[in-house]
Amino acid sequence: MGLLDTEQGKRRLLTVEVPVIERYNEGRDPEFRIRLVPMGSVLLLRYKLKPAHNPYELETRLLAGYPMVPPETRVLTPLKHCPHLLEGQTLCMWRQGSTRAASRWDPGQFTAVFAVQAAWRWLACYEIWHETGEWPLPEAK
Amino acid sequence: MRHLFQVGIGSGGMPVLDALVQDRRIGHVTLVEPDVYQQHNVERHLFPLSAVGQLKAEVAREWLMDRRPELEVTIVVADLMDPARRAQIEAAVAVADVGVCAADTEAAKYHFDALMRRHGKPWTLGEVLSGGIGGFVHWFRPGGPCYGCVASHLKRSIEEEKHASPDYSQPNGAVTESRIPASKAAIMAIAGLHAAVTQLMLEDVADFNPGFTSLLLTLRQVPDLFREAFRPHRMTINRSPDCLICRKPEREIAAEDLDVALTEALERLAHE
Repeated sequence: MGLLDTEQGKRRLLTVEVPVIERYNEGRDPEFRIRLVPMGSVLLLRYKLKPAHNPYELETRLLAGYPMVPPETRVLTPLKHCPHLLEGQTLCMWRQGSTRAASRWDPGQFTAVFAVQAAWRWLACYEIWHETGEWPLPEAK
Repeated sequence: MRHLFQVGIGSGGMPVLDALVQDRRIGHVTLVEPDVYQQHNVERHLFPLSAVGQLKAEVAREWLMDRRPELEVTIVVADLMDPARRAQIEAAVAVADVGVCAADTEAAKYHFDALMRRHGKPWTLGEVLSGGIGGFVHWFRPGGPCYGCVASHLKRSIEEEKHASPDYSQPNGAVTESRIPASKAAIMAIAGLHAAVTQLMLEDVADFNPGFTSLLLTLRQVPDLFREAFRPHRMTINRSPDCLICRKPEREIAAEDLDVALTEALERLAHE
């Protein structure tokens, strides 16, 4: 399925993703709103999060196979190397087969805004790790 | 005469097809399968060693013609999700009575589900669990739970890793197994159940209801997972009102308005 070039993908965007992104943006400071940037077969969500003291620029990529393929989120602001951080500052957020619902991407239950919220949670953990050296959430199991 | 639309004629799909076409109510079969039969398939497949290097769809057609010469067989040598073959696949589903999904990727199962819901067709799905420890047979009807509802209920994993494409220039080359392979016996056991459920569905397509929507048969005892081997579990999974795959959208958009609506939405959200 191509998110941007099939009827199924377009319907998912228009009836599921766009309305929740618009609700997310409603009343939010303009610099913290989600912007959409189509890039070939990929749809980028660009946004800023500030879980504690520091603001971070992020990008969530909805690939052509989305939502069957989970979204990928990377932080554009330079980070220190830390746990749960993959190549290219991509956040390790989904562990398929996990017994924890929030750690397993579910295309029938989650939207792109869930991925944004998961990134917020990841960054909050990062800030605590930065101060204490300990990642405050257990590993996904 | 019934028209069967089947996707996937690998080691799991071919025995289902072989069992089903013995049913004389089936007069037409449409098969969708892009792959070439390879050396590493032989161990678990019905096809002979001599068929290595040929398209699975072509070999399946010969197999069927040997057994039911009067059967009408249409093959589509393509990936189910190939946009270039979409019209042909949609047309085949539109005239089919029952769908059989033997695809082994989550994306293909979701795609198959969407196709069947779009055309209001019932269908069945067979899944052998990694290592052959058991397997599922699910059945779906228009208006019932979709594959997304079932996958959410079962806390099903989707695939993140990207599998390497087969090398068609070397059909005899080694292919890395991405999962623990199931034995041929385990595959045949689940395929037999899949065929039996589908055959029952053919008896009464409109009012089929065997008393479950998903049937799990354990084939091995697995610590912390399956207490006993050879134990059936009949599950009824309901349609989830919150399922993002099949719920009714707040507003309907006509197919011809999709492009304009999407362009407007992307434009609106580009400048936030």
